[in-house]
Amino acid sequence: MSDADAPHDEHDDHAGHDHDHGDHAGPGYSTPQAAIEESEREQLAYVMGLYVGTDVDAPDFLGVVDVDPDSPTYCEIVDRVEMPNRGDELHHFGWNACSSSCHVEGLERQHLVIPGQRSSRIHVVDTKDRRNPEIIEVIEPEEVFEYDLSAPHTVHCIPDGEIMLSMLGDADGELPGGFLLLNDDFEIEGRWDPPGEVEMNYDFWYQPRQNVMISSEWAAPQTYYPGFDLDDVEAGKYGRKLHVWDWEEKEIRQTIDLGEEGMIPLEVRFLHSPVSTHGFVGAALSSNVFHFYEQDGEYHADKVIDVEPREHDDWDMPVPGLVTDLLVSMDDRYLFFSNWLHGDVRMYDVSDPANPRLADRIWAGGNFGPRNPIEGERDVFGGPQMLQLSLDGERLYWTTSLFSTWDEQFYPEEGKQGSVMLKADVNPRKGTMELDQEFMVDFGDLPAGPARAHEIRWPDGDCTSDVWM
Amino acid sequence: MTAPPDYAVTLEWEDGRTADLSVAGDETVLAAAEREGLGLPFGCLTGACATCTGQVVAGDLVHRREPRALKPRHLDAEYVLLCIAVPRSDCRVRVGAAIQRELVANPWK
Ligand code: FES
Repeated sequence: MSDADAPHDEHDDHAGHDHDHGDHAGPGYSTPQAAIEESEREQLAYVMGLYVGTDVDAPDFLGVVDVDPDSPTYCEIVDRVEMPNRGDELHHFGWNACSSSCHVEGLERQHLVIPGQRSSRIHVVDTKDRRNPEIIEVIEPEEVFEYDLSAPHTVHCIPDGEIMLSMLGDADGELPGGFLLLNDDFEIEGRWDPPGEVEMNYDFWYQPRQNVMISSEWAAPQTYYPGFDLDDVEAGKYGRKLHVWDWEEKEIRQTIDLGEEGMIPLEVRFLHSPVSTHGFVGAALSSNVFHFYEQDGEYHADKVIDVEPREHDDWDMPVPGLVTDLLVSMDDRYLFFSNWLHGDVRMYDVSDPANPRLADRIWAGGNFGPRNPIEGERDVFGGPQMLQLSLDGERLYWTTSLFSTWDEQFYPEEGKQGSVMLKADVNPRKGTMELDQEFMVDFGDLPAGPARAHEIRWPDGDCTSDVWM
Repeated sequence: MTAPPDYAVTLEWEDGRTADLSVAGDETVLAAAEREGLGLPFGCLTGACATCTGQVVAGDLVHRREPRALKPRHLDAEYVLLCIAVPRSDCRVRVGAAIQRELVANPWK
């Protein structure tokens, strides 16, 4: 019996234990539970470092951060892979292979695909030597524009060894966006979707066993690139919809309008269990979290968490939380999300995904958190932003930069002083978090000048890149 | 057809630094600055992202394709996208990362 024929049980609690993985030969772990049990503690983190849009005359880089407490270089950026050009705005990145291709013999989770959000250039970095990765391939913007696409965002490996990227605009930075496919030699294979199927695009997550993908909406690149303008919101230029795709047919089968409370839905995370049809999406601007799920053959999305705006002495209008990133722990028990403008990161118990329960939260930086969350260390300007959790769910890390132009608008000091990477120790049994007072990675102190820090990945898979068949 | 003449373009940074640039023919200001190793900020190079925004203090610059990243109010205020802007006279232009920040303010503050 092939895996695709394995019996599906909607209510199978977790992790596809019914799923026969005797033929596991490719990259990743056979199940989410195996990822938790078999993985070792993360020792290195790959973190995007940015100079785009500043007066520092240097290209963006992939930072290699030592996160091994037993290492003499703990908390240091031990290597930087400089991109060949300036102006990329490295943003989100992904692996060439993940657990979804655990049946593809010979494939390895070894290459990072690193797009430039502003440049539309796509880099491939070989991490065979984990501490000294190197660029092996660059796809130039002109090659991307040939498919009438620009502004690459989310990178996901897909089960057959190919790599898919959400593209937020057309060659001119206008709508519509779409999806670009790379083959396993890192060449552009073409568009994944029929052109015009989607207008706005942002993040996407697929569940191959359910034959479903869900994509979200930011705006046209020409709208969000220069900065956040309320006039654009009023003109309807920002997204508020989720698109439910037939994964095999590559067609949208349903569009869900999240309404006024679902403005700018960004990161989409299905639960990791391949039998689950539940997931979450954070609506950044309206500062809500929606639970989406399948029922009677259709997808539904309900608002389950509402972050109230807060009054601030220096602001004319109440400050929204701005839910910019969220992730689900590998055991599907906890949801974490960041309120970038408020300055907190929250942990919810989502054992019942329709009724998340606030378990704990930490304040650090932002507009309401302590400017100096770690005594004796430097000030923190932005709020918690991109999150990454260890596979065992015990360590939550985050960086503080969102997007260069938006950072400049909301946290001008961040560009001058650089970002930090912070960490919380998580107790999944008690549902608590504590800021690690010994951990800070300072992106403000680099040879070329202070850098912004963005997404974080582990070499052995993480809670925001691995999908299971 | 005669080639367009070279123009003298003076770049002015917020910190008081200036640089004189000779912009050849139909060259963009950004390309000329890159040629001289002056390191101005840029991103998309297609007129969509505004990372390369400057502001004209004196002189005449035209965009050689649509400046999508600028709104009418920005164009009225003499902001230009240096990745697609070519001079039509000698010019003085405010440059550097700080200029882009002037385009959009924090809307809640
Ligand atoms: S570099 Fe993007 S508009 Fe000039």
